[in-house]
Amino acid sequence: MLRPYICGSVTGTIPGKAPAFARSQETSSFAPPVGSLAGGMVQRRLFLAFLIVAACHTSARRQDAPPARRIVSLLPSFTEILFAIGAGDRVVGRTKWCDYPPGALAVPSVGEGLPPNIEAVAARHPDLVVLYNAGPNVTAAQQLERIGIRTVLVDLNRLEDLGPATRTLGRLTGLDVRAESLAAVLDSLAHQPPPTSTPSTTLAFVVWDNPPIIIGHGSYLDQLATAAGARNVFSDITAPSAQVSLETIVARNPQWIAVLSDSGMGARPAFAKRREWRAVRAVRDGHFLVLPGSLFGRPGPRSGEAIRQLRALLSPNEEGAQHAAPLREVPHR
Amino acid sequence: MLRLDGVSYRYPGASRDALTDVSLSVGPREFHAVLGPNGSGKTTLVRIALGGLTPLVGRADVIGRSASSWPRQDLARLVGVVPQREDNLFPQRVRETVLLGRYPHLTLWGGERAEDRAAVDRALAACDAQHLADRWLWTLSGGEYQRVRVARALAQEPKLLVLDEPGMSLDLKHEMGLFELVRGLVETSGMGVLMITHDLNLAARFADSLLLLEGGRPVATGAPAEVLTQQTVEKVFSWPVAMQTIDGRPQMIPLRQPKESRA
Amino acid sequence: MRWTLLVVVAVLALIASVVLGPAAVPLSELLRSDIVWNLRAPRALLAFLVGGSLGVAGAGLQALVRNPLADPFLLGLSGGAGLGAVLAIALHLSGPWALPIAAFVGALAALALVYRLGLIGGTGGALDPRILLLGGVAIGAFAAAITTAIVALADAAELRNAFLWLWGGLSGASWDSVLLVAVYVPIPLAVLLAASRPLDLLALGEESAGYLGADVGAVKRRVYLAASLLTAAAVAVSGVIGFVGLVVPHLARLTWGHRHRALLPAAFLGGGALLAFADTLARTVVAPRELPVGVVTALIGVPVFALLLRRWTIA
Repeated sequence: MLRPYICGSVTGTIPGKAPAFARSQETSSFAPPVGSLAGGMVQRRLFLAFLIVAACHTSARRQDAPPARRIVSLLPSFTEILFAIGAGDRVVGRTKWCDYPPGALAVPSVGEGLPPNIEAVAARHPDLVVLYNAGPNVTAAQQLERIGIRTVLVDLNRLEDLGPATRTLGRLTGLDVRAESLAAVLDSLAHQPPPTSTPSTTLAFVVWDNPPIIIGHGSYLDQLATAAGARNVFSDITAPSAQVSLETIVARNPQWIAVLSDSGMGARPAFAKRREWRAVRAVRDGHFLVLPGSLFGRPGPRSGEAIRQLRALLSPNEEGAQHAAPLREVPHR
Repeated sequence: MLRLDGVSYRYPGASRDALTDVSLSVGPREFHAVLGPNGSGKTTLVRIALGGLTPLVGRADVIGRSASSWPRQDLARLVGVVPQREDNLFPQRVRETVLLGRYPHLTLWGGERAEDRAAVDRALAACDAQHLADRWLWTLSGGEYQRVRVARALAQEPKLLVLDEPGMSLDLKHEMGLFELVRGLVETSGMGVLMITHDLNLAARFADSLLLLEGGRPVATGAPAEVLTQQTVEKVFSWPVAMQTIDGRPQMIPLRQPKESRA
Repeated sequence: MRWTLLVVVAVLALIASVVLGPAAVPLSELLRSDIVWNLRAPRALLAFLVGGSLGVAGAGLQALVRNPLADPFLLGLSGGAGLGAVLAIALHLSGPWALPIAAFVGALAALALVYRLGLIGGTGGALDPRILLLGGVAIGAFAAAITTAIVALADAAELRNAFLWLWGGLSGASWDSVLLVAVYVPIPLAVLLAASRPLDLLALGEESAGYLGADVGAVKRRVYLAASLLTAAAVAVSGVIGFVGLVVPHLARLTWGHRHRALLPAAFLGGGALLAFADTLARTVVAPRELPVGVVTALIGVPVFALLLRRWTIA
């Protein structure tokens, strides 16, 4: 408790539990000779100063822990960040979903990632495992710690989490400088004002059709839309995603229906043919934005690129051409 | 009306016959009782007589036609059955449950008619159960419930009434009442009655003819005085008895057996 | 008198379904509104048809298996439907009708299996209702286990959304589906209605029912198949909506007794009204969000069921 307060926070450490190797270090440095200090005020103050220095020393020593050399990344965004800051050659394990950059595909996969396969992860002999901070992963992190593998849980839900996540990974790999420059760019993405305060283009992200599930304000996709100069008609829903009635979509009448596609087939989603969905004007007019999941589905170093592409798709210059080429698809890389 | 000729039957997978060479006949105005110790095949007999089981040897006919070839609904208009057990799942009133007896007479989409309701009233009257008409079934005593079941069978307006151990778990008054009722039906409506019963004495008093079964085989058949002799009864029921005569009918009195001589 | 009341309630439920909703449609615009004609009206009708089918199927099944706790989804059909749906998604079957058709086929497969299990004494034998119940539970559990395994092992994250579909929802309602259901449903309904009297007799036990003229074997087969076909259609079109088939027959019995000639139509109207009403609640209570309708029927159904149980134990 005292340590993090004085010496700076370590974002994402499992609350309340210090990593195993740090614990052994603190006991070895922390053995004041109590008997010789009994009774002296000065000596008591010295002792206190000694305690504080030792505490900082311990945590500083933990922060000075050798940079991670064998990293297992359990989230595609983390994999992208690691490669982007130059730590790609240190990634020895990834999830099957980690598909960017192309070099990542050469790294062995340790499975789905949510929840992680502990044995597969351990088999890579990592000295650091990076996990997305969510329910099942907390338990998995505890299990990994118990077998002596260092873990870190990192939040990454929205654009503003990108900077801190990048910095954390930078610090853990000793690539602070490169990480900082990337983090600064990502921070500006999160904090730049939207291109227009009154967007004229409206859209809705449809994740599932029966029952209809849309993206709300709590999601990164909502931020993408705002940054690209559009308005998510469901930004009044605070949750990241929610089930809504079809008639609500019809009533809010978004100009575009955006769908994430894993396969970039370019075809309209299957629900476009269903009779009840044709009550939505955007479906009738075929105004679909088909966005590749790899680029748009997660916040990461390419978020800036995603915003640019989305802005281009919605660009007012092509307003007139909107009806001519209603289906907008980002070419699958 | 009901005729079994040399019927034999064995349940699938059983090691011995349930019935061997059994014959009986019940005509109008006849009260025929079937007696025998437990496991002597009495219930199997009823099932065969009503077409539920097909005899392996011999015939079972109802009004000249093989029992198992009768369409269920037509047979139900001729034969009313009061089985041993009934498991009424949902709560009902007496009048509703007796009305079920009219179902064989109703058409698929037609409703209950005035004549159906009249038949229910007549059946309840015959069983002295009109005062129970609006009661819930679960509030009835054993004897009352049994009378209601007989009323239901009567509501079918059958020519033949079949009862399987109707007196079981009835007290003296209600059992006597039941036998009197059945006897009355035979004499006034000209019904034929086939009754399975444990009660030798009441069967001897009220029935016109008896069939005594043992291990699926007929031991004796005919008038009560011919069938229930001391030798026969002692042999079939494995217990010493003394015989008396009341109203010209044999009555058996079981004797106490001293401990030493019990086999 | 009570029939009039029931019809009025049913009509009110339908009207409420059409008039109320998360999208504010002013009364003056009602007749011209696209939302009302293309979304709410078919959805209200579909809710009514599905709810009615479940109510009647439940009543028939409770009489058939002689168990007041029977519910159409005890037959294993929901497990089969779920498995069919998940397979359709996992195999990337395309087409807007892929999911309902796959669910229907899955339900039929479960039906065939349970039916075969329930036939004692081989294919010529009679149906044993107790085995139907037990077999239904077993097949349903088995199908659910396979479904979960597929979801755990397969790629698409969409598969997890398939479970949301299974929770029950009328989102897919359109005039197409209403037409389909409206054409399909009358046949099994008619079969069940025609079996009204034999079902009354069946309450006395199979032996007594036979002695009172019922063709017990044929009645059991017909009732089981008709109730299952109604349930299969309901699941295919709207997922698993629980409690309607369980509670509505009991509610109907409170007023109409056990005579199935009255009970079955009452269960149909009552079930239809209940589901239409529950769907309206699902759409409006947390607007703009929507609750799965299976959640609403459970939330309504459980307290009602508790009240009924109290009434039974007092009686």
